[in-house]
This record gives sequence, structure tokens and C-alpha cells, in this order.
Amino acid sequence: MKGLEYFEVECIEPVGAEIYKKIADDILRDLNLNQSIGRLHIYIDPETPLFLAVGVIKQMPGLVHIHDFASALGTEEGVVLDIGAETYLSPMLSVLWDTYGRDIITQPDRFTVKIMVPGLNPREIEEMVVVDPSEGMFHDIIYALQWIAPEGFKIRREIIGEEYFSYVASENTLDEEEIDELLKEKFAYVGVTL
Amino acid sequence: MTVLVPITYKGGVYRHDIVIDLIDDLGGYIVQKHMIAQEVVLQSLVPKDDIELIRKISRPLAGEVTEAPLVGTEIAVVSPSLEIHHLPHTSCDVAEYLRSAGAKTNMIGLARGFGKRIANLNIEERDIINEHDCAVFMLGNFETCIEYKLPTLRRGINVPIILTGRPSTEALQRITDPPVDGYVGGIGRIAHRMNQQEGEIDHLDTLVLEVSAVISRKREEVAKDSLSINPARLMAVLDDAMEITTRSTHPAPIVVQIRALRVKLPYDDYADSIAAIEIENGVKIGDITQILPSRMRDYILIRIRPFSETKIMV
Repeated sequence: MKGLEYFEVECIEPVGAEIYKKIADDILRDLNLNQSIGRLHIYIDPETPLFLAVGVIKQMPGLVHIHDFASALGTEEGVVLDIGAETYLSPMLSVLWDTYGRDIITQPDRFTVKIMVPGLNPREIEEMVVVDPSEGMFHDIIYALQWIAPEGFKIRREIIGEEYFSYVASENTLDEEEIDELLKEKFAYVGVTL
Repeated sequence: MTVLVPITYKGGVYRHDIVIDLIDDLGGYIVQKHMIAQEVVLQSLVPKDDIELIRKISRPLAGEVTEAPLVGTEIAVVSPSLEIHHLPHTSCDVAEYLRSAGAKTNMIGLARGFGKRIANLNIEERDIINEHDCAVFMLGNFETCIEYKLPTLRRGINVPIILTGRPSTEALQRITDPPVDGYVGGIGRIAHRMNQQEGEIDHLDTLVLEVSAVISRKREEVAKDSLSINPARLMAVLDDAMEITTRSTHPAPIVVQIRALRVKLPYDDYADSIAAIEIENGVKIGDITQILPSRMRDYILIRIRPFSETKIMV
């Protein structure tokens, strides 16, 4: 898969391994995750049955502040925001509405938002956090793995941290120690020592 | 007796009634009629010798006549679930491809068909699948899982089964015990639309051939003890008497099967009046068929009894 430094599917059935590689590729591409995941190792044991995935997150997108896409100007009436890019306009309005109330926020045109609170510090407004993309990404990674894994594997354990993640799923209860051992072994493939 | 062969006619809406009248005059039957924007698709059964005549007459209308081996059959496409793992890819591709070969397909997503040990088939699903001419089981990518779960999923199914899965056809044959009626390897779970000829569409073509082979075996079996009436004729009689096609909003209000009809009318309200319809010379529909409540919604399933039982042939 393009974008990943390392990507392997390990399975005793070569036909299954090959097709699961394609499935994972399609799904990660659908969810735009192939740029965010650096290394990925999937282990499938159809006998147990067990699906295990370990991976390394390549880059964690940073928090999006208002100053990233808009500039604030203090006026007598309040603060006027000049929007540069509309991508985050909708979450920004939600944050402002929640903070100041709907009737205080006006939007005279597409690229202007006014906060009608006199004496407000425009620098403070610019520092407000609008979106945490990593939140969505964690959610997306887990969703992608649930989608890649065979359906019906409802017993699962997932770890997701700043740098790496793991996902183990089965339809049977699994021995915790065995899984820890297995995770340690598979994490070694992606260069992570637990 | 003339041999009726299944064909699909595709052409423009303009003057397509000429083709409909022609098929009717030749003693053929229109099993399904689709009007899609400016196009008309007729799934029909026509006398074998007259196909050339239909071709000739429809040529000025830019109509196209193709043989469609699955016209007049209702096929269940059984998917382990209706979740994102199994739909829309593969299941929809298969259903659509079978439909293009003339079949009426119903997609059946099992409530608990996924997984390996936990896979299950409930009684309602079993009964619904048994109301079809054959069932295409769409299983997954691992031999181990297919081998383990197939016996559970096929329990109680008495219609022919065509098994599909990612392992090769030979592998599927090896792991299936007792054998099923057809196998097509190379069609398993994927996460994209089948659009490549090699390794994707090729397998769908093989599937159509395999299903056609299974269906013709079933037709031969039925021919050994002929039905009291041809299902397509029964459809025509029923439709003439009750005008179901013109009055119903269903896309296919009457579905023709090899030895049955599915009528999409409430059983309680209509079963008796259907039984009382006269076909010819005092023979009523109720005399040569069993009119049963279908497990699919509140529809009616009309099973045609064979000549050996009724001693009537109309």
C-alpha cells in the first residue's frame, strides 16, 4: 500500500492473507488513514479464530485554533472575525454559540463573523480550540479496524495511544496472558517494544 | 408441445407494444416488464423457433434480443449479514449480475450468519430460502471458517445451493461434505466494487454459468413429471383475471419460479378468490395448485402440482 512504510498480513491461509491485504488497503484509503498510519501488521488465525492488528501512527494532527484560519479584530461592538478558509467554519460557530449564545453571534456575510460582546480580547478569541483532529482519528482508526476485522468478532481489546495502537478481536474468550505475549511478538514487527 | 426459451428484449419505449403483441401471438409469455426512463426490458419465455422472427421485427425499433438463461427463476442471494462487512460489495454485485441474466433475485441478509462458531440460521430464514428456486451462499475468505459454518447455514435447506467463497473452486469442493449443487471460487469478501475483468467479472460469469447449470438440472427434474400448467401461463391467467400487474405498485407483483408463483397480495384477503379463478374448461387454479401463505411478508405462494397428482394438464 502506498504511504505505509511497512504493511503485512500474516495468516496460515495465503489466499485469505492476500485478500485481507486488499480489504485493509481499500478501507484505510476510504477513511483517508493511509497517510496517518506508518506501519501496520495484521495477524489472522482462522482456527481460533483471532484477528489482531498492531500499528504505528505516523503523524498526529495538531489542535485547530481560530487563528489557524481566521483573524480577529477588536471593535467597539465586539470582535469581528475575518474567515480565511471555511473548512472549520461550522465547528467554530458551534463553539462560539456554546460559549456566548446564538443571538450574540452574527454572520453578515460568508467570510465575516461578529461576536457582539464589548470589551472582548481578540487574542483570546484567536486562541480558542475549534477541533481536535486526533479525536476523530482515534475514532476512525478503531472504526477502520472493526470494519477490516471479520464481522461477529465481538470480544475485543483495543489500545490506542499517541504513537501506536493495537486491536484484538475474536468470538471466543481469550487468555489475557497469551494475548499479551502475542501482542508483544507482533508489535516487534512494527518496531515497538512494549 | 412447443419448447419455450427464456429471452430478454431490450429496446426503446416507442412502439414496444408491437413486440409485446408479437410475443403474445406467438404463444410466449412476458414474465416481467421494466420501464426504465426511455428503455423497456422484457423478460420473456418465447417459442424457440420464433426468436429469429422477434429479432427481425424488433430490428427497426432498435430492439435487442438476447438469451437470458435465468428468466423465470427466483434466486436467493444469501449474505451472512447486512452489515458494512458484507454489503454492498460482492452481494450486490452478484445479485445485480444474476439479475442481468434474467433472474429475479432476493437478497437475504441473515440475522446471525456472521462469525465462525456463532453463525446461525433461524427458522424464518430457512423457510424463506426454501421458497426460492436455488440459493447462492456468499461466504468469506477462509477455508477453515467456510468448512466450519456451512453445515450450520445449510441445515434444513432443501433447494439447490451454490456456494461461493474466496478459496478456489477445488478447495470449496474439498471442504464441503456432503456436496452442494454448485461451487464458484474466487468470490469472497472484498471492500470495493468488482470492476476488473480478470479475477472479478470472470468469476461472476462463472457464477451465472454455474447457476444456469443448476437451474437446468432442476428444470429437467421437473420435466420428468410435468407440471399441470406452465408457471408463466398461470401468471398470464391470474393477471388477466385480477389485473395485478396494472393495479399493483410492486416492481414485480407476480414472480415466476420453476414450479411456483409468488403473488404479492395479502394471503387472507385473496387466497380464496385466486383459487376460484377458472383457467379453461372448468379447471380452476385451486384444482391444480396449492395456495400457501408465503413466509415473505403476507404474500401468497402458489405451488403448481404435477400431472401425476392432478391428472389434469392445461
